[in-house]
Amino acid sequence: MVRIDAHLHVFAKASDQFPRTATDLAPGAREESVEKFLNCMEKHAIDQAMLVQLGGTQIGEHAYLQHCLKTYPDRFLGIGLIPSDCPDPQAHMDRLAEGGGIVGFRLGTLGGPRDPFAPVDVRTLESYPIWRHAAERDYVLWLYLRAADAHLTAYLVEAFPQVRVVFNHLGICPGEGKFRIDEHGRPRIETPSYNPSQHTVYRLARYENVAVLLSGQYAFAKEDYPYGDLMGWHRTLYNDFGPDRLMWASDAPWIYEKPGYGPLTELVDELLPQISQSEKAAIMGGTAQRFLRFPQRP
Amino acid sequence: METEAVGPTPEQKVQWEEEGYIVLENALHGAQLQRLQAAFDKATVECKEDWLQRVARGEAQPTFFDIPDPLERDEIFVDIVDHPSWFGLLQDFTGGETLFLGPQVRSVPVWPVSYTGWHPDVPLSNPLHIKVQIYVEDVSENSGEFAFVPGSHRAGSGPYTRPKLGESMPGHRRLPGRAGTAIVFNSYGWHTAMDNATTAPRRSIILIYEKRTPEKVRPDAFKAIARLCTTPERRALFGMEV
Repeated sequence: MVRIDAHLHVFAKASDQFPRTATDLAPGAREESVEKFLNCMEKHAIDQAMLVQLGGTQIGEHAYLQHCLKTYPDRFLGIGLIPSDCPDPQAHMDRLAEGGGIVGFRLGTLGGPRDPFAPVDVRTLESYPIWRHAAERDYVLWLYLRAADAHLTAYLVEAFPQVRVVFNHLGICPGEGKFRIDEHGRPRIETPSYNPSQHTVYRLARYENVAVLLSGQYAFAKEDYPYGDLMGWHRTLYNDFGPDRLMWASDAPWIYEKPGYGPLTELVDELLPQISQSEKAAIMGGTAQRFLRFPQRP
Repeated sequence: METEAVGPTPEQKVQWEEEGYIVLENALHGAQLQRLQAAFDKATVECKEDWLQRVARGEAQPTFFDIPDPLERDEIFVDIVDHPSWFGLLQDFTGGETLFLGPQVRSVPVWPVSYTGWHPDVPLSNPLHIKVQIYVEDVSENSGEFAFVPGSHRAGSGPYTRPKLGESMPGHRRLPGRAGTAIVFNSYGWHTAMDNATTAPRRSIILIYEKRTPEKVRPDAFKAIARLCTTPERRALFGMEV
């Protein structure tokens, strides 16, 4: 049974060969190499993974991601980024995808009215050209949206039912001013105990083109591993989306130190103890293989 | 509001026991309905910007807007809690032990999907839990109207599962209505808001009650409106007396 980590980041030290934007989370001197991750995969029987760009939106800043995808084509697929002020996002998407391996793009905003009572014409949303192009080229859209845009997703998902949409990190849409870096160097998102996605992302379960990543728990939980306070959220996701549209992911490298990659691979057992082995197999890799079209390995 | 506890008719009692809900057309009307609509409008204007900011901060849902602390904003929101159109029914159903838990003065924007799916509010192990949904504006079919599965409140009914499409719930009944319509329903039963295919938001008020138990009485919960609770009946309803 294939096991796929459906979302993680690798990056090199900032250099001429691998230029990237340094951030507080990933300073220029920090390296989280693909080889380090391959060791993790080997140790924990992970077959394949989705590498998600981190370190900048410009084409050149994707150099390390593209290097990894070219070096290990049967191991990884990739998700790229699009500059918010990109004059021609379609060309940007195609340039990144043409080398092979990059199959989709991560979005943090959709660009529409902040008032949910305002009428919405999807053609006027800033991200509309990206969605239309994704529909034309079969790119996956990888959503980690700000809270203010959460209500807009339903309009786009309905307009583009052919686009595969993957909500990151339990479908949570982070609120303005809620991000910080915790004492372990990980992203931390202050989130209400009442799941703020309950009435937005979760309501999109009716659309078969929408899937959700079971990941990022460390950033939202009030409790330490195994994040028992999030068990109800996982149960709701399981009930609404089912194992065929849920994908486990580690969100490495942020979890290497705490709780560690190994415990993360057992998190589905902890938070969804009632599911069958075949359902667990789907969440741990089968769904990602089918939904994201990972190549069959020799 | 003077409480005139007029109990249910025999037909209403059968309807309540067998189907779990009662529709009261024209429960609010005339000047009182207009006063409620005006208070709703005013509170919406006062509170909306704060709500939008809370949405952006991830602290509030974007798919519905509840006016905070409505009882403190206008006496009409207090007056409807023991409104004679339904209070007598509640008292009958709870054996005269109705306890008010809270209001939801709710606007639901147009959205491609209903803001909520089919669900019961409480398990059968909970004390009898009743809600009154009041339409503040006309709510036609396919405009986010309340819907209920008749009989789903009864022990032994079901099992029910949550369908992805609201309209595919077996045996459900849509309950559109004119402004001023009130729907009293047993919260053990499966219910939802249907999709809204119109261009108008749904505006309604949901009043939440329960059969009194000591655990649910919170004497300070409504102290901000204590000056409006001068009768023993009202003080009991709002849990001001243990």
